[in-house]
Amino acid sequence: MAVKATPSGSIFEAAGLEKKFDDGQVQALRGVTFRIQPGEFVAITGQSGCGKTTLLQMLGALDSPTAGTLLYRGKSIPDLPDPSAYRAREIGFIFQAFHLLPTFTALENVQIPMFEGDLPIPERKNRAISLLKSVGLEHRLHHLPAKLSGGERQRVAIARSLANRPSVLLADEPTGNLDSENAGLTLELLGRLHREQNMTLVLVTHDTGIARSAVRTIHMKDGRIVSDGEPAVTAS
Amino acid sequence: MTLFTIVVRGLIRRPVRTSLTLVGISIGIAAVVALVGISRGFSKSWENGMKARGTDVVVSNMGSSLTPKPFDASVCDRIAHLPNVAATCPILVDLMSVETAQMMMVSAREWGGFSWDNLKVIAGRMPHDAREQAVVLGSTAAEMLKKKVGDPIQIDTAELTVVGIVDGHAWVENSAVILSLPVFQEITGNQGKINIIDVRATPPASSQEVEALCQQIDKLVPEGRAMPAAEHIGNSQAYRVVQAMSWGTSLLAVLVGVLGVMNTMLMTVFERTQEICVLLALGWRRGRIVRMVLWESALLGLLGGVAGVLLGAVGVKILGETPAIRGLLEPDVSPSLLATSVAIAVGVGVISGLYPAWRSSRLAPSRALQG
Repeated sequence: MAVKATPSGSIFEAAGLEKKFDDGQVQALRGVTFRIQPGEFVAITGQSGCGKTTLLQMLGALDSPTAGTLLYRGKSIPDLPDPSAYRAREIGFIFQAFHLLPTFTALENVQIPMFEGDLPIPERKNRAISLLKSVGLEHRLHHLPAKLSGGERQRVAIARSLANRPSVLLADEPTGNLDSENAGLTLELLGRLHREQNMTLVLVTHDTGIARSAVRTIHMKDGRIVSDGEPAVTAS
Repeated sequence: MTLFTIVVRGLIRRPVRTSLTLVGISIGIAAVVALVGISRGFSKSWENGMKARGTDVVVSNMGSSLTPKPFDASVCDRIAHLPNVAATCPILVDLMSVETAQMMMVSAREWGGFSWDNLKVIAGRMPHDAREQAVVLGSTAAEMLKKKVGDPIQIDTAELTVVGIVDGHAWVENSAVILSLPVFQEITGNQGKINIIDVRATPPASSQEVEALCQQIDKLVPEGRAMPAAEHIGNSQAYRVVQAMSWGTSLLAVLVGVLGVMNTMLMTVFERTQEICVLLALGWRRGRIVRMVLWESALLGLLGGVAGVLLGAVGVKILGETPAIRGLLEPDVSPSLLATSVAIAVGVGVISGLYPAWRSSRLAPSRALQG
């Protein structure tokens, strides 16, 4: 999981990001500017509707900004020639509702993103086993999601997000559907991944308590950044 | 785990819906197998009958009916004098109700003509002469009519005697009531009339020579049309209508199958919108999503096709044994028809999956984060 340096040193760089919906009647992002360095653990916080999930979608090339620039290692994300390859190889997604495929076992779910990776088919299973072991689920390999607890499902989802050894993990309210005990365990796991693998981690949450586990917090309100844990970047 | 694993899981997650869709496709394909098999079988049976009689050219006027129209028997003499004709045999054939059989082929042949030569007596004997009020029955016909040698048989208004049971080496021959031409002409009031002339070309006759002979006969005999024996039935207008109706009905059934698969696949895409968006968010290319949907619908088509072929083959077998058509048809459920039917089913699957696949490819991956 080597993280390359870019001329600016940032892995993500956003400047004046705007996002409008419904022919401009709804403005989700208003001039958002920030930088994220490789290996940072950043929490994006704010109340529902503040634009944090929209921002996460843009970082993951799931949506495009209406205006402004958004770079990944110096390259414009909206102009990527192959957004699928970017999502498959550079980004690991963790969703609030886990989004595991219900008819596939934990082991199979972890292999799903590997279809777009470069790993030969016979080796996919071994990597999936190894990833599930790393999240403490070696005893649940062949269980369907319905047979797993909420915490276990999220751990499977985390293992899945690591399937293609991405540089960045993007997590959308990863503890939103978990009880406090499992939320703590999940945050601990994400923190460990960040520390041990020097992985860039961007976590979206409305819970300021959870955001405290991050090294840096970007707080948003009405589509704007109102505070940023990194003093060098000024909220617009 | 491969894409195929995902495709199969996609189908088995909704077993009832998948099964009902398979039933829909299989009925369509069974209709193709049954109807086309029967119409082809009719043609093949007729062709085999001609081969068994050693006929190279058939002169008749099929028109739009299933049996040819009668014409004057003297035509036969004109053909017999052509240089490449080795032998002729005038015949009067009709499809008619015979006792318990609703429809049976009655074939009256010139006594002593070569069209008697292929008949091998299994029981009894051949008629003694052209005027004997007797018939021989093909083995299947005897079985259908439950007749044995010595039994009386009612043909139209006349009562004749079954004097022999024969093996004609072909389905149509074995399913026929065979008798001498003048006897049948008298029974049906067609004195001096025939409706088929079997012509044997001077051997060895190549297909080009047979074609040339047909052209010669056509010039000589405006009352009928000469065709190589193998093409005779296939060129009849009635057979073409039957064949067109078979394909038309089959394709209608297949169209219902197409709509069934399309509905299933659209439902699948709608139900799995979130899942497809998640796959897109995880980096799956749209092309892979399209392939996944198309493979699913193609697999539905394949399974429905195999089930339909089995259903059709069994159905045709049962149909062939029903009293109304037993002995009349020898369905031709050939491997090529079965393979074509399965190919049609797979094609149905792929075509039905195109629109759902296109719909799935238009989904926005950002929906993965909504809900």
